[in-house]
Amino acid sequence: MDKFSRRMIKVLIVYSTLFISLVVYLSYFEIFQAEQVVNNNYNKRQWVNEEYVLRGIIADRNGKTLASSRKIDNKQIRTYKFDKLYSHIIGYSFKEYGKAGLESSYNKELLNNNENPIREITEKITGPKEEGNNLILAIDHDLQSYTQKRLKGKKGAIVLMNPKNGEIYAMVSKPDFDPSTMKDKWAEITEDKNSPLLNRATMGLYTPGSIFKIITATSALENEYIEKTFQCEGSININGYVLKDYKGTAHGKVDLKKALIVSCNVAFGQIGLDLGEDKLKNTAEKYMLNKIIPFELLTKNSVFPHKRNMSRPELAATAIGQGKILVTPLNMAMVASAIANDGKMMKPFLVKEVINPKGRTIHTNLPQTLSTVSSKNIAEAIKEMMIDVVKLGTGKNARIKNVKVAGKTGTAENDTEKEHAWFIGFAPADDPKVAIAVVLENEGSTGGKSAAPIARDIMAAALNILK
Amino acid sequence: MIKKVLSYKMPQNLIFLVNVMALLLLYFYKDGFDKFILTSGILLTFIIYISNFMLLKTSSGDHYIFLIMTMLVSIGIIMIYRINPSYGFRQITWFGIGIITFFLFYTVTKNIRGLEKWTKVYVVLSMALFLSTLIFGVRIKGAINWIKIGGLSFQPAEIIKILFVFFLASYYVDREKMNHPYIFLGVVYGYIGFLFIQRDLGTAMIFYFVFITILYVFEEERKLIYYNLGGAVIIGVLSYFLVNHVRVRVITWIDPWRYIDNKGYQITQSLFAIGSGGFFGTGIGLGHPEFIPEVHTDFIFSAICEEMGIFGGIGVILLFLIFLYRGFKIALNQQHQFFKIVAIGMTAMLGFQAFIIIAGVIKMIPLTGVTLPFVSYGGSSLVSSFAALGILQVASEDIYLEQEEENG
Repeated sequence: MDKFSRRMIKVLIVYSTLFISLVVYLSYFEIFQAEQVVNNNYNKRQWVNEEYVLRGIIADRNGKTLASSRKIDNKQIRTYKFDKLYSHIIGYSFKEYGKAGLESSYNKELLNNNENPIREITEKITGPKEEGNNLILAIDHDLQSYTQKRLKGKKGAIVLMNPKNGEIYAMVSKPDFDPSTMKDKWAEITEDKNSPLLNRATMGLYTPGSIFKIITATSALENEYIEKTFQCEGSININGYVLKDYKGTAHGKVDLKKALIVSCNVAFGQIGLDLGEDKLKNTAEKYMLNKIIPFELLTKNSVFPHKRNMSRPELAATAIGQGKILVTPLNMAMVASAIANDGKMMKPFLVKEVINPKGRTIHTNLPQTLSTVSSKNIAEAIKEMMIDVVKLGTGKNARIKNVKVAGKTGTAENDTEKEHAWFIGFAPADDPKVAIAVVLENEGSTGGKSAAPIARDIMAAALNILK
Repeated sequence: MIKKVLSYKMPQNLIFLVNVMALLLLYFYKDGFDKFILTSGILLTFIIYISNFMLLKTSSGDHYIFLIMTMLVSIGIIMIYRINPSYGFRQITWFGIGIITFFLFYTVTKNIRGLEKWTKVYVVLSMALFLSTLIFGVRIKGAINWIKIGGLSFQPAEIIKILFVFFLASYYVDREKMNHPYIFLGVVYGYIGFLFIQRDLGTAMIFYFVFITILYVFEEERKLIYYNLGGAVIIGVLSYFLVNHVRVRVITWIDPWRYIDNKGYQITQSLFAIGSGGFFGTGIGLGHPEFIPEVHTDFIFSAICEEMGIFGGIGVILLFLIFLYRGFKIALNQQHQFFKIVAIGMTAMLGFQAFIIIAGVIKMIPLTGVTLPFVSYGGSSLVSSFAALGILQVASEDIYLEQEEENG
């Protein structure tokens, strides 16, 4: 073979590689990027079906209609029945402003755009689709209303869920907005510096404060060699940084349980130092910090600082939930649920079922374990401590008559003068039916004083309603 | 019977089958297409059958390249018809003219001797066409590359493509014709410079790569190749900083979503279409390729992906790949030096053009506005592609070796 031929074959190989790379890139695009690309609001295809498919109904777990559509002169009108109540769950769907919430994430189902090619073909033969599928939520409308009422006038978020299967019973974020009037008030809503469009429950990042001690305690129990009794003088000096207890109270001799009950910073600061950054981070990541929580709404990841060689003061601050650590309320409700559910953290979900217009179930969300945070024994031990927090310690305001409640309060210092008030917990402690996370943004009060009573009322209402 | 119809010995039957199925789908799905579509369908199939038959009888060379291309034209016409029936019908007419051009170029090229001696003629003709484009040219889509004569408009660059390949081939048959390799290089960059002035970046790229391909295979002074590659990199970087529309192409490639309202509109619409199709496509007539601007020309591939699926798109890519393989095989077997180089040149030209537009619309490389050969709507493009194919057909046959006779 002459040199020209050899070179020609090389060129042919280069050209073939180029064409094969087209095939590879195209497949890559289709598998990994297409879904996200297609859901862009600029994709007019999303709106084409809307002209003739009646958008599906969204109903709560008892079948109460929350959002529905009707046709008037070939134009579709979407009605959101409960003003602001579902602004962050259901969201909205308008041509001008796009889609948000479940209206966005379940757009395909609501418009009955099936992925299943065989069903697609049969539907093409049987005629054009006229009605979309309906969504049945895990949300309980009465609980959602009550939860919203208890958060009225405040800033913050509450997530109420079933610790055993991950169903979200109620989820409220304040301030909120009314999707049915947002067309007229768009500018006002978007420019509001309190950001009512932000779903604080899944995307609000807050300093956790003392509720994080549950995670530190888990880590301490997992590492048996850790020192677990301390002499608390009300403050401790760590390399020049003075870590103080609330109001400088000296707790005296404390063990792990006592430390959690009184929320002793001195003890947990030292536990953090003893554990070291890696072990604490490891436990935190089992609790889904720094991890993407798969959910039907947009979420932000909770943050455990990614840093090698944290300074000792920083590490001590992180162990008590201060410093650079940030969490979402949804994540914290899942933390409480994990303890309630023997250390198994369930995947949270809002939509129980997708049903077609004829009432046939098309898709059911089944409970899924997302992460195993600790052994059953350790979860049990933490649960006992949390029961005593409510019985004897900072969480007394969460006590419910005749029901054993487990919980943990948090008062999180932040960049502003006013602390965030936290409470996470579950009830009944022996056979948990509900788990909750409450955060009051810049409440300027302790979690025990302001967040615990709200959590108590909602849990009591939930136990009553869900019975 | 069925066995015979599906036999690989009669591959045009497969094209026939595809056409019948696709046109039937269109017929049933779109109301109001009725008789029109029937005539078109019969016409299209008739042209394909007759031309393939004629080729079998007349040419002793390769019988696959023509088949591949008629398949591609069929896919193109089906898509164009679905997007706009009147364009579709016009494209069938152009297809007919294309076939005539194919046989015309085939016959003429086969019977003229001494094509390799006309180096200067090719250059002078090309430059004349370039100049007339600049003087009489009309600006369409940002590029000045069309000439209107009466009611007809055509792109001189399509003719120049063929002249350019002839020029390169004739030079490498006998390099003494140019006194110095740098004069040769000067002429080549003259071509590319003219295209740059016309803002026809896609075609400039195609010319450049055809040049590099031929240079790589036939140039004896290997360092020239590196100089040229280095030069291209420098020109590329410089034009990014100095020429606005080059920069626009690059930034809308890196992140079109930021410019979704304006500069990035076309490419994002194309991605929506491809994404919506999935692997199997929405089915012909059931997607919305009409949302993409220029869908019948530059973005025809996106429309194919939307309605025939990624698998349909991959099919088109693979057809081009087989074409490339056949083209290189023709060049490898050809003993006549001039036609060897012409075969490489034509194959590289069509193949590379297909690559840059497909890669462009799927956002693998920055988008340059060229047509997808044989598939896109457009008379100039289709006719000149068939002309190139006719020449390639000649190159696939045994050619009487004049040179040897003279030498011996």
